[in-house]
Amino acid sequence: MIRIESISKSYGKVKAVDSLSFEIKKGEIFGLLGPNGAGKTTTVKILTTLTKPDKGACYIDEIDIIQNPIEIKKIIGVVPQENNLERELTVYENLLIYGMLHKVKNLKSRIDEVLSAMGLQDKKNSVVSTLSGGLQRRTLLARALLPQPKVLFLDEPSIGLDPHIRRELWQIIRKIKSEGRTVLLTTHYIEEAETLCDRVGILSHGKLIALGTPSELKKDVGEYVVEFTDKDGRLVSQICHSREQAYEIAKQRSDGVMIRKSNLEDVFVKLTGERIKEIKEGQ
Amino acid sequence: MIGWYPIFLKEMLQFKRKLLRLGYIFSAMMAPIIYLVTFGLGLGRTVKLSEGTDYLTFLLPGLVAMSSMNNSYSWVASSLNLSRLYFKTFQVYIQSPVKPFSIMIGEVLAGMVKGLFASLLIITVGFVVPSNFSINLIFVVTLLFNCFMFASLGVITGMITKSHEDTATYSNFFIMPMAFFSGTFFSIDRIPTIFKPIIYIMPLTHTNVLIRKNYIDTEALISLLVILLYCTIFFLVGSNLMKKYNE
Repeated sequence: MIRIESISKSYGKVKAVDSLSFEIKKGEIFGLLGPNGAGKTTTVKILTTLTKPDKGACYIDEIDIIQNPIEIKKIIGVVPQENNLERELTVYENLLIYGMLHKVKNLKSRIDEVLSAMGLQDKKNSVVSTLSGGLQRRTLLARALLPQPKVLFLDEPSIGLDPHIRRELWQIIRKIKSEGRTVLLTTHYIEEAETLCDRVGILSHGKLIALGTPSELKKDVGEYVVEFTDKDGRLVSQICHSREQAYEIAKQRSDGVMIRKSNLEDVFVKLTGERIKEIKEGQ
Repeated sequence: MIGWYPIFLKEMLQFKRKLLRLGYIFSAMMAPIIYLVTFGLGLGRTVKLSEGTDYLTFLLPGLVAMSSMNNSYSWVASSLNLSRLYFKTFQVYIQSPVKPFSIMIGEVLAGMVKGLFASLLIITVGFVVPSNFSINLIFVVTLLFNCFMFASLGVITGMITKSHEDTATYSNFFIMPMAFFSGTFFSIDRIPTIFKPIIYIMPLTHTNVLIRKNYIDTEALISLLVILLYCTIFFLVGSNLMKKYNE
């Protein structure tokens, strides 16, 4: 559904995205995971026509983004990281303007449909600035879904939301997937990537350092983690490929040892090498 | 559906809300009223114009030109700058399947409405105060072109400024001197010849010439052509900036 071929984008001397290539299948939830500054938002901006890449090519549904941006805009929906609703207008007015921009047919009934799907019927005439953060995020989703996009981009969708609202949002995203839409989301929440995404691409300094299902990624680097405190009081994590190997390491420690299943953060740490260095120092 | 309409509608919905706040109309009228009182009713009593017209009759069309310039320009420049850099709402247009040209038309038309609204307030005052102020077809056409020209210039500023403070800088360097030296408060004939080329480069000078005419003579025709030229240049540059938008 989405094909990215060696795209690069620099801002001054900083390479925000560096020869990035990957594909996203139709109907999957694909997560771009990485810390702040990894290039996630720049990738989304390129795919949603806000930013032109310095090099490379991108295709959505076989349409070239650079050659034919208007056609791309007809099939995508975007929920940006920063709330860009018109704060002084009502929820309905925001959707009305957006629907007109996207030439949505039967706009008024379609607005009622998305408001109902997002549980926003009673907020229809509320001015956006009076809504809570969670409701504003839902309004952003309703707006993006109004023209029934084939691909939905969610840039850090649950940033700043309370844990229970975050879980509500995940339910909504799963529902969007069940309607056959392709979802690309960026996140730096490990749990979000693990529980929500069919496949995850891990970004670091603008480069893709791993790609696969969450379980594949964990399997590749090791499914078990031994955690203990070293003699200087620092927490040390060591990833192991088998339970037996984890037990062996744990046995060498007298107290404060914990064995747990690995998560995507462990994968990231192992691949970027930062915490591996700590283990060596600790040992 | 016409491409520019949703952009125009959004601006109008926001404008409607601003109008409902009492403070807006007062603030829009404040500067021109101050000028009217100090220059027109105060200093103006001592001013004698060569053509025999009273000063207030001379001043009012100038104030309409100045006010339409200020409002068309500032509204567009400021709202575009904020929506692009601060609220990020401009991204919604860029990510929608509308042509950059349509965004430009929507923004300019919205700016024109705001400029015309402010002008209407001054025109109303013009008919209340004792003067021979009157409106003819040339006045109306000039006013429309002036709003179009400065709303388009507002788009250019709104698209190239890198921070909200920049908008004020552009305003202080270009708009403010134009308001004072382009024939709003005194006839440009009084300006020393050495400065005249600069004065005639300023687009508002030509609005001030044209808006006071009762018939089209050579001078009016030249000013009309200059205004049309500026309208075309500003509109094309603004459209091009929309087209080349890249974050």
